[in-house]
Amino acid sequence: MKKPILIIEGEPWLGDQYQRVLEAAGFSIVRTSNAYSAIDLIDDTIPRVIVLSLLLSGTNGVGLLHELQSYVDTAKIPIVVCGDLIGINSSDLEPYGVKRVIDTTSMEPTDLVTAVKAVLA
Amino acid sequence: MGASNRQSELGKDGGLYIDDISLTAAAARELSSPLVLLRQLGFSVSDSKLSDRERQQLGQRLTLTSERALRMISSLSMASQYQQELALEPINPLSICQEVVHELSPLFLAHDRSIQIQTRSRIPLLVGNRHLLKKILLCFGDNALHYGSDNNPVKVTINGRGKYVRIGVRDYGPAIPANIWHVLDGRVSRRTGTAVSNRPHTSGVGLIAAKRLADLMHSSVGVKRHRDGATFYVELDVSDQMSLI
Repeated sequence: MKKPILIIEGEPWLGDQYQRVLEAAGFSIVRTSNAYSAIDLIDDTIPRVIVLSLLLSGTNGVGLLHELQSYVDTAKIPIVVCGDLIGINSSDLEPYGVKRVIDTTSMEPTDLVTAVKAVLA
Repeated sequence: MGASNRQSELGKDGGLYIDDISLTAAAARELSSPLVLLRQLGFSVSDSKLSDRERQQLGQRLTLTSERALRMISSLSMASQYQQELALEPINPLSICQEVVHELSPLFLAHDRSIQIQTRSRIPLLVGNRHLLKKILLCFGDNALHYGSDNNPVKVTINGRGKYVRIGVRDYGPAIPANIWHVLDGRVSRRTGTAVSNRPHTSGVGLIAAKRLADLMHSSVGVKRHRDGATFYVELDVSDQMSLI
């Protein structure tokens, strides 16, 4: 059985949308809305890709990126960041394992599937 | 608009007053979140593979999300009418709170959460503007949406405290700074667009709107921090009407 895609999205209904389109594309999904439980899920499932929103309750997405880079195994997991990118330079996120950045103000559902497939290729 | 209105400046009480451009920028950021969600929901609702139940759920989410965004727009619009004279009247706080809970309950329910009124004693009438008070409580309620649970529903509390009545909205979210409004004023003024502390769903524009609306009826807002959340409240004078009879 293939490892899942982990969605970390603080807005539950947006998380539902991401899950819906990725499942329709044939991916298995695990999901959480905060960084703390994300760490547990990453340890338990070692996801193939992490789809991450930077705005999370508690530790935010940037804090989680730092945490993931602290360990050899989690640092290798490719990350797709989804968010309103005003004030964020996507190249600043590359050192944190972020392979794709999707601007949610213009994203279409297929963009997420395309991004996940691209980082898995 | 004069130069003094284009820059944030210190008010008489030492607090920052936010100019309209900064508030507009913050509001634009705040509103981008529900618009992003509406757009994604819109893509999904046209999916022919959806079941009737899924389509119905998406339709409800579209409605509730747009209503929440419209409440924010309405509050900001009212808050911008800073100089307008407002009629104050005796108000039964319980009836206002019931209206607020009734209006927000579908949104909370759709998120598997609940909001309820908690009051202990006989509640005196207060003096305020019914429309503004309701807007303030809706701002607090929307702000609390993501910070409750099945075991800990968000509570609207009413307490008579001598010459004033405090109406609060108790949530169970991450900690916030004690000087929350000053922090928010500073962030919005600098147009940093960051969320409130550890609360990504709280950019603070709704709270700033609530503060402005409270100012319009000469009342005050505040926050009480708890070990496991916060209570945002508004305080209004008790009505003397009954004592005159």
